[in-house]
Amino acid sequence: MKKQSHNTVKSIVAAVFLLATTTLLNTGFAAEKPNTEGGDAARGAKSWVDNCMRCHNARDPKELRDDQWITTTYHMRIRAGLTGQETRDIIAFLQMSN
Amino acid sequence: MKIKLITLACMLGLAVSTSATAASELEKLRSEVDALNTKAKEWEEWKAPKTLVHLAGYADVGYVDTEAESGSFNVGTFSPIFHYQFSDMVMLEAELEIGIDEGGKSEVGVDYLTIDYFMNDYAALIVGKFLSPLGQFRQNLHPSWINKMASAPVGFGHDQAAPNAEVGIMVKGGFKTGNGTSNYALYVGNGPTLELEAPDEIEMIETPGLNKDGEGKKVVGGRYGLFFPEQQLDIGLSAASGETSIRQGSSGSYTYEPGRSYDALGFDFAWRVVGFDIRGEYIKQEVGDDVTSVAPTGGEWVAWYVQAAYKFNNSNWEAALRLSDYDTPHASQDRNQTAIGVNYVFSSNFIGKLNFEINENPNAGLTASDRTLVQLAYGF
Repeated sequence: MKKQSHNTVKSIVAAVFLLATTTLLNTGFAAEKPNTEGGDAARGAKSWVDNCMRCHNARDPKELRDDQWITTTYHMRIRAGLTGQETRDIIAFLQMSN
Repeated sequence: MKIKLITLACMLGLAVSTSATAASELEKLRSEVDALNTKAKEWEEWKAPKTLVHLAGYADVGYVDTEAESGSFNVGTFSPIFHYQFSDMVMLEAELEIGIDEGGKSEVGVDYLTIDYFMNDYAALIVGKFLSPLGQFRQNLHPSWINKMASAPVGFGHDQAAPNAEVGIMVKGGFKTGNGTSNYALYVGNGPTLELEAPDEIEMIETPGLNKDGEGKKVVGGRYGLFFPEQQLDIGLSAASGETSIRQGSSGSYTYEPGRSYDALGFDFAWRVVGFDIRGEYIKQEVGDDVTSVAPTGGEWVAWYVQAAYKFNNSNWEAALRLSDYDTPHASQDRNQTAIGVNYVFSSNFIGKLNFEINENPNAGLTASDRTLVQLAYGF
C-alpha cells in the first residue's frame, strides 16, 4: 500500500515537473532576452489589489520610499509567484502613488 | 545751489553703489541656489541605484495563559529580513529568527537564506535554504503580522506535519493562464531526516532545512497554484517524493541509516468572498517501512486547518475562527484545536490579537491545555 502511495506521489511530482518545464520552454527561455518593458501604473493598481490581499492586508503606498518598494516588490515576486511584468507594473503604481 | 548739487551727486553715487551691491548679492544667491540644485540632484541618486539594500521583517510580543499553568508575558520572535538587490537580476534574501527561551537565553536561527536569480519574466532560480513551498502556511502565512491568529494551526508548527524548510535549488515563478494566473515552485533538496524515539519508533520528521543529505538521496517536490482574480480564489496542489533516513548521534558525529521512502502531498485554497477571508490547507508527510531499520515501521503525519476571518466595515475590528487537526503515529502527539480570535487592526502592518484556543487530544485524554493568548504583531 505504502509502495503504491509512494509511486502515486512520484507520478504527481513528475507530472508537475513536466508541466512546468514545458511552460518554461514555451514562455521563458524561448525569449531571447528578458522583457524590459517598463511598468504600467494602471495595470499595477489592478495587480496590487488582486495580489497583495491574497495573503495579507494591503500596504499603503506611502508606507515605504520609492527605492524600498523595488526590493519589497521583488521579494513579493518570489513569495506570490508574480511575473516580471506584474512586478514592474506594481512598482510603477506604488511609486506613482507615493 | 552748490549745496543742492553736491547733495544730488552724493545721492546718485549712493544709489549706484547700492545697485552694484544688490547685483553682487543677487549673483551670490544665484550661485548658492545653483550649488544647492547640484547637491539636490546628487542626493536623488538613492532613488535609482543599481544596488539596493533594504531591511524588512516582523516581530511579536504577548501574553499566554495556559489552563493549569500560570500565565506569562512572552517575546515571540524578532525576524529581520535582509534584502540586497542588484538591478533586476539578482537578490539575496535572508531572514533570521531571534527569540528568547523560557530561561531567558537568546536563540538565533536562519529561517531562510537564498540567492535569487531572476532568469526571465516567468522564472527565478532560488538557491540556498528556502521555506518549503509545499502548501501556503509555512511559506507565506506564518509571519505574525500576516497570521490572523496568535499561533500556528496544530500540525503546522516546526517539525510537525507541514515541512518547514529545505536546502537545495528551486525554480519559482508565474505565468498567465486564461482569466487567471498560474504560479509554480519546483525544487530538489536534501530532504528531511527522522528522529528516533527509543527503542524502535520514529518520533518525528525533522524539516529544518538540513545542510547535509545524510543518506544521499534527494527529495524532489513542488507546488502548482492557480489564482482567479475575478473570483479572488486561490487553489494549490503540492507534492514531494524522495528518500529520508533516521539520524542518530550528535552534531559533528551524526550517523545515518540507508534511505527509506518519503512522500508529501498537500492541497490548499484561499477565497475572499463577501468580506470574508476563508482559507484552508491539508498536508500529509509519509515515511515508508524499512525492515532493516532500528525503527522498521514508518507512518503518516497529517494535518489540516480551515480558517475564516471577517473585518467589519468601516472598523478596525476583525473576527477570526480556525479549526485544525493533527494526527501522527503517536497518540500522545495528536491534537485538534478550535481557536477563536478578535483582532484590532491598528494599521495594515500592526495588529493586536486576543485568542482563545480549545486544545484536545481525543486519543490520549489530554485535558487542561486550553489557552488564552494576547499578541501584538508588527511587520516592517
